[in-house]
Amino acid sequence: MSKIVIIEDTEKIREELKTFLIRYGYETVAPTNFENIINDTLREEPDLILLDINLPIFDGYYICREIRKTSDVPIIVVTSRDNEMDELMSMNLGADDFITKPFNTQILLARIETILRRVHGSNLRDTIVYNDLKLNLSNGSVIYNKRTAELTKNELKILSCLIKNKGKIVSRDDLMDFMWNSDVFVDDNNLSVNITRLRKKLEGVGMKENIETRRGLGYILP
Amino acid sequence: MSIKDYLKDRTLFLLINFILFIIICGIMLLININSKIILLIFCIWFFPILSYIIVEFIKQKSFYVKLNDIMESLDKKYLLSEIVKEPHFIEGKFLYDLLKRANKDMHEHVKKYRDMEHEYREYIETWVHEIKTPIASARLIIENNQNDITKDINTEIKEIEEYIEQVLYYSRSNNVSKDYIIKEVSLATLVRSVVKKNSRDFISKSISIDIEGVEGIVYSDVKWLEFILNQVIGNAIKYVRESIGKVKIFTTRNENNIVLTIEDNGIGIKEKDINRVFEKGFTGENGRKFGRSTGIGLYLCKKLAAQLGLGLTLTSKTGEGTKVSIIFPLGNVN
Repeated sequence: MSKIVIIEDTEKIREELKTFLIRYGYETVAPTNFENIINDTLREEPDLILLDINLPIFDGYYICREIRKTSDVPIIVVTSRDNEMDELMSMNLGADDFITKPFNTQILLARIETILRRVHGSNLRDTIVYNDLKLNLSNGSVIYNKRTAELTKNELKILSCLIKNKGKIVSRDDLMDFMWNSDVFVDDNNLSVNITRLRKKLEGVGMKENIETRRGLGYILP
Repeated sequence: MSIKDYLKDRTLFLLINFILFIIICGIMLLININSKIILLIFCIWFFPILSYIIVEFIKQKSFYVKLNDIMESLDKKYLLSEIVKEPHFIEGKFLYDLLKRANKDMHEHVKKYRDMEHEYREYIETWVHEIKTPIASARLIIENNQNDITKDINTEIKEIEEYIEQVLYYSRSNNVSKDYIIKEVSLATLVRSVVKKNSRDFISKSISIDIEGVEGIVYSDVKWLEFILNQVIGNAIKYVRESIGKVKIFTTRNENNIVLTIEDNGIGIKEKDINRVFEKGFTGENGRKFGRSTGIGLYLCKKLAAQLGLGLTLTSKTGEGTKVSIIFPLGNVN
């Protein structure tokens, strides 16, 4: 489990961000005392830092520079200042990415994943596991009891979204939104066709639990 | 300034001299002085006066002609007093000083308003950044508590965000200083990111999107372009019919430009309204029928596009759809 430190002084955002990231399987630490923020952060040995710029005591730029002196931990700057200068400044001080508030949570999640994958090599989060099914994100294949099937890009996106939300109903709109946000602009009919094909492939490798349709609500992997 | 006008201006002076001369002439005639001597006195009297008037006329005429020429050639007429040389004659000097003082005062006055505007703009910018924090929290709260109600609130918040963007770009569009950065922009990436931003609306209204035909690289400011495109796509979504709606975005490359076209099959714009869509505050019939139109969006787009040196055109047919084209001129560099 990757550990994320959230350095953010607005209480509401800090708490909600924490809840949100925990929900997606991250361990989070959100310090509330900013006096020794640099040492406190480094002591946690995080895998990633989400850093605000406007902070009490030290500003984000200073923190970023100080952390970079001793650590290479990935830093994503999250700020409401959205001019090019701030972005340039952050990058120059060694931040890995720059996101402006208010952010799309899915995009934030995607950026976190990308950076973690890049930093920790390809083995982390490159395969998603669902019961006995292994989904390999890098080559788009599913393995179940030594039987393999190749998925298309669309099928891969659908399956990974359903696995991430396993046990929960994902509405068609949410599923489509997820796909659109990963650059696959499918329409309604396309989605149905893709789901049907995906079901067949999962049957093909002998998986018992398959994607279920909940009429009027969406799809679910039990 | 002609010699006639100049003489007219000196009428009183000349008249007094003539009257004086006639009186003296009369006295001299009474005491039987030779008429030749009177003629001589006339010459001695009037020759210096006339030569003085002529010399003065030439001097002043050359000054005013020069002044006029400078005025005509000046782009910013109020800079006249800075450019003109100080004249050597007394009235000129006096007027020159007055002009300088009036100008200085005017500059201070203008500066006061410029400072006020600048301050206001700074306030707007800070305000926009501040309000983004509560919006970000609201978004996260919604994300963590998903249900039908929060979903509706989310849609409203998205709209609020768009209005806020408008405020920001409105204040930016009025400024003379250029706060944009020209960089290489891939049109495909740009279009994708704006479409993604509006993905929820496309999906919930079942509008299909076709962006296959977008390619090419232009040099412009990404954020301003995103704003313009977002307004245009937002309009397309607003005025398209649900379920059968189609938005097609494509580029065409011509000899001198790249044209990015956003085409929808929506309700279109009435012919009588079409020439006024870029006017500030114009909402037209569609705006009245569908509500929530401020008449600012397209006006701002046009203004920002003009500042970036881009063309923006709109064609539409009632019932068939609307086509908006953003024209990127190609320089010799590409």
